[in-house]
Amino acid sequence: MKLPINYQIAATYLTSKVKQTIVAVLGVTFGISMYVFMNSFMSGVNEAQNRLAFSTLAHVRIYNDRPADRSDIVSHVFPTGTIANIRNGKVIKYTDGIKNSREIIRYLKTQPLVSVVTPEVNISVFFKNAGNKVNGTLSGVDVSGEDRLFNSAAFMMQGSWKELAYRPDGIFVGIELAKSLSLKINDNLNILTADGVSHTYKVIGIFQTNLSSVDKAKAYLSIAATRQLLAENQDYVTDIQINVVDFKKANQLVNILAPVIPYKVESWSMANQQLQAGSNLRDVIAVAVSLTILIVAGFGIYNIMNMTINEKIREIAILKAMGFAGKDIRKIFLTMGVVIGLIGGFVGMGLGFIVSDLVNHVPFNVAGLATLPMSYDPEDYILAFSFGLITTFVAGYFPSRKASKIDPVNIIRG
Amino acid sequence: MNTTPILTASNLVKYFYEPEKFQVLKDISFEVRRGEFLALVGKSGSGKSTLLYVLSTMDTEYEGNLAINGNALTGQSQNALAAFRNQHIGFVFQFHYLLPEFTVLENVMIPALKMRRLSRQEIETKAYGHLSTLGLQDQALKLASKLSGGQQQRVAIARALINDPSIIMGDEPTGNLDSKNSQLVFDIFRDIVSAGHQTIIAVTHDEDFAANCDRVLELSDGHLLK
Repeated sequence: MKLPINYQIAATYLTSKVKQTIVAVLGVTFGISMYVFMNSFMSGVNEAQNRLAFSTLAHVRIYNDRPADRSDIVSHVFPTGTIANIRNGKVIKYTDGIKNSREIIRYLKTQPLVSVVTPEVNISVFFKNAGNKVNGTLSGVDVSGEDRLFNSAAFMMQGSWKELAYRPDGIFVGIELAKSLSLKINDNLNILTADGVSHTYKVIGIFQTNLSSVDKAKAYLSIAATRQLLAENQDYVTDIQINVVDFKKANQLVNILAPVIPYKVESWSMANQQLQAGSNLRDVIAVAVSLTILIVAGFGIYNIMNMTINEKIREIAILKAMGFAGKDIRKIFLTMGVVIGLIGGFVGMGLGFIVSDLVNHVPFNVAGLATLPMSYDPEDYILAFSFGLITTFVAGYFPSRKASKIDPVNIIRG
Repeated sequence: MNTTPILTASNLVKYFYEPEKFQVLKDISFEVRRGEFLALVGKSGSGKSTLLYVLSTMDTEYEGNLAINGNALTGQSQNALAAFRNQHIGFVFQFHYLLPEFTVLENVMIPALKMRRLSRQEIETKAYGHLSTLGLQDQALKLASKLSGGQQQRVAIARALINDPSIIMGDEPTGNLDSKNSQLVFDIFRDIVSAGHQTIIAVTHDEDFAANCDRVLELSDGHLLK
């Protein structure tokens, strides 16, 4: 025991009422471990959700957004009141796809926020196998770019993703689509486009993304084969998919691109606001629950410190009589609070990790997950620890200030 | 013997405001010589304890002037007064007021550890010295709460002595003790004073105790009777 006397007194007070100290420490421990667990779990859920969502959704998408309603063009051109007699009117073919896609892609690749850019040709088709017909989407993809953006190779159940690049006759189908058309590897699949072109491909791979809308109605072709099917030129692209360095910066990129690109530039959060809302709400719940627990723990410490000070009021008076100043007394009791916070903080981080790890092993076989998701972010632990320390400091500060103001004469004279 | 006063009180006036304004101390002036064994006596309510707490520097709400050892103490900050008490004043109260969770030795050492003038080793040696003078060396490592009342009061005296204060103040130091222990405490005080450098001011209502002191100051209704 070589500590200065104030710390030595604090240590004696903490160790002489071990049960009380443990109760106070447990309060902080539970608060901090719940904070760690709740936040790890929520960010785990958010990460799993994002992983799932971004398996088919790029952070930013550029596409040709045609006017929604072209049924009444006359009123746009002629003054109102003009009588027009047009029967069975037709709109002449609007420019499909993105013009000058090569230049746009080259420009996108110079943007520092952009990590991956890949072109796609997406069309609606009928998939036919003998009598069975299913309508869906055919995606012509740049094989290596698509994999870098969506990690598509990881979703292949059968066949190898790279093979698509070398097989102009090959097609990958979603697992549900394969089932509904009774398709196996090496079976033939007939495609019928909206323009009436029919072509037969060989199934060389089956994928599963765990998003049933995709698995039920999507097939992949190489982009060159798709252009050939549509009789389009070598620059023909309907969508440009972009991933951003950090998906939270998608809107930032949109703000940069929108003024210079004459097509619709849309971020994932604009296209899927429910994703963003869900993730934000989960964060709010996690913080609210864990802060509540920490505040309750803080009141626990406040109570225990107040009790201790009332119990020791005569001892505090005698210490003051012997020459301890108000600031010494405050130091003694604040030290107790901070020690409780530190011990509770360290134990709480450990307990939080153990609880997180246990929950991470609970089986959860939904949407491609094996167990409940969990993230292990040091930032959560550091935040929990700091919040815990701040709470105990505040909870210890007010009682210790009260103790430092005790008038020894009143107490000693009774 | 050095005749300069160790303590000078001039024109001390103090009021109580609860439950109503009441003058407890009425223009009290006196001096205490170095090495004097002084008793403050008076009926209950005469203001003798109040006077002692003013002299002890713990009570700062008074009018008049107080100087100890040549230091003017009136108007100083609480922290400065605390440091002054630590160094210059030792206390012995009616109820011993030891810290029950500390050992006897630690209780004695605490004021010196606070002052930090000596190393822990030196303080411990000194504390053992005082304890063995008072016949408590065997009790040193026991918890303070395990001792008898008389023993605790002797520990309190050892604690009061640890920083070699100029003045030891007692508030009914024998008030809670039987006659045998009272005599013991008185003898200890007598020994301290005869050693020469230290002064004792004790409030007491014990007539035997007062009769054996060097000088008795009697208070009545806030006035000092000669």
